[in-house]
Amino acid sequence: MSTDQQDDQGDEDTLVNVADGVDHQVAMVMDLNKCIGCQTCTIACKNLWTEDGGSEYMYWNNVETKPGEGYPRGWEDSGGGWESEEHSDRSPGEIPDEEDYGRAWEFNHEEIMYEGSDEPLRPRDGAEWGPNWDEDQGAGEYPNSYYFYLPRICNHCTHPSCVEACPRSALYKRQEDGIVLVDQDRCRGYRYCVEGCPYKKVYYNTVSKKSEKCIFCYPRIEGEGPDGETFAPACAEECPPQLRLVGFLDDEEGPIHKLVNEYEVALPLHPEFRTQPNVYYIPPFAPGQHTEDGETVDIDRIPRQYLRNLFGDGVDEALDTIDAHRQRVRQGGESELMELLQDKNPAKQYRLEVFDDE
Amino acid sequence: MPASGPSWPPRSVLGGWSTMADHRRTIALTTVLAALVLVSTVAAPMASARPAHEIPVRDVSDANLAEPTADGWEEVPASDVPLSSAPSSVPNADDTTVETVDVQAVRTDQRLYVRLEWQDATRDMNANSTREFADAVAVQFPANTSSRPPIAMGGPDNRVNVWYWSGATGTQELLAGGAGSTTPFQNPAVEANATHQGTGGNATWTVVYSRSLEAPSENRTDLRTDGDLDVSFAVWNGSNGERSGQKAVSEWHYYPFGGGPEGPPYETLLWTVAGIAIVAVIGVTSFGIYRTRGAE
Repeated sequence: MSTDQQDDQGDEDTLVNVADGVDHQVAMVMDLNKCIGCQTCTIACKNLWTEDGGSEYMYWNNVETKPGEGYPRGWEDSGGGWESEEHSDRSPGEIPDEEDYGRAWEFNHEEIMYEGSDEPLRPRDGAEWGPNWDEDQGAGEYPNSYYFYLPRICNHCTHPSCVEACPRSALYKRQEDGIVLVDQDRCRGYRYCVEGCPYKKVYYNTVSKKSEKCIFCYPRIEGEGPDGETFAPACAEECPPQLRLVGFLDDEEGPIHKLVNEYEVALPLHPEFRTQPNVYYIPPFAPGQHTEDGETVDIDRIPRQYLRNLFGDGVDEALDTIDAHRQRVRQGGESELMELLQDKNPAKQYRLEVFDDE
Repeated sequence: MPASGPSWPPRSVLGGWSTMADHRRTIALTTVLAALVLVSTVAAPMASARPAHEIPVRDVSDANLAEPTADGWEEVPASDVPLSSAPSSVPNADDTTVETVDVQAVRTDQRLYVRLEWQDATRDMNANSTREFADAVAVQFPANTSSRPPIAMGGPDNRVNVWYWSGATGTQELLAGGAGSTTPFQNPAVEANATHQGTGGNATWTVVYSRSLEAPSENRTDLRTDGDLDVSFAVWNGSNGERSGQKAVSEWHYYPFGGGPEGPPYETLLWTVAGIAIVAVIGVTSFGIYRTRGAE
């Protein structure tokens, strides 16, 4: 693979493929083995960006249980993305229904708090689905049930089909870092982006009548905070187990580049949508299956085919590589890969200022 | 009848016209025929046969027509303007439901009123949930009336000024220089009033736009033009998911601000010439017949 990038740094043998017209590409790696499903990322994002009227139902960052319907319900089968690697024909998609996102429920607070009711606290009517309705449900039969958590944000794709879907060019991939944004002045609420994104990560604001989405917390990474400091996106900084690495895909000294391009253990979600996501996942490990007697046997608890469906065929090699490095360290050896996956030094975890001097 | 040597026209051609009574009848018939032809040639086109893309405008000094149900609209001639799916790259662009829009127009000394009426069984007024789209209608004029812009939202050098109303956003005034470039004016200079009447298949939307003839600012169509004013129409059915380029549109039509209600000047000229020619031919023929008969 050769670079699409107009290389202005002189290192012409770079392997990093960023979009045409984009200088550098922000990227994130999420280690699914560290996610505890606490939703702190979800709430950090919501408090920052989607508290206003019309955005109640939105979770620019959500954490869903896999296997599961996800948020919005059934998003993986809702269409969108590209028909081929040429990125010329888009696959049509559908706009999810309110019910698929899940409406905000009304609770019986009034009765319990002020009217002395001894009912349990619960939603009033119509609570039939919600963003985490099937949380922790997973699949499989005892003693071999399984599930894992999948945190999702906008993938800030290299070939964003949402951008292509907009007849008004209201969505764009900004030149300096490849963040995909909706120009609120251009948007007229047509929602072709909503249906065109195969990850369903563009949302329609029912009050402003415009679409909006994850902005990769660009004011934070631009150092717009009170002290002019640069911060990683809130979903990453606030994560209790610190499962996210944030930086640039084309920062060849950074951990993201190594995990994605060198060790090839960080994989995009649903590569068959062909949008080339820039959020990558370290696939989940699980203990082997148990027999009725509680013996552990050498059979994958999470069916390998399920992981291939999510992360593509590269998942086999990724899991094998991690396994091999894990064995090496277990036997007293050294492994840069294990260091990268365990590193807690924020300077390496978040490398957002490497191109600031350009 | 005695034979009297060769004469013209030959008797075999003129048949049995031989008596004086026949003779008078011939003249009477010819006169009536000539009168009929004259009336049909000159008067008919003035009355009804307007060109296909012309939309009549009634000129009055003053009117109270801002409301779709205002009484005055009953007096105003209407045009059925056919609509078809706009060519567009958006998904489902060829899936539109509205096939015709009735257009009426009145020009007073101050304002142009345009009334549009079309069938739509559902009154889609909101875009308050993710899959909900509102009904909408638009009237498109060239921003600069000196030339006709490309029909699909104009072009970069030849922009269009659009009057837009939707159930969800109300009235907007837009400027566009090609598909995807539509930009709203900060404050619309156009007013619109809408009403949805009836039920089921016979339910209709009626929207009346009006604007001062004088262009309130740059990039707005000057309606004081003396020439024909190009105009086209678009309708969106919200419950069919219609928005953006998925819309039913007309071709360019025109308001005959220049040539009066009888159409462009060349047309009147052509009909006048044809009328005179036909009358002359009939006159000469009648005279010929009269002289032939009289000479016998």
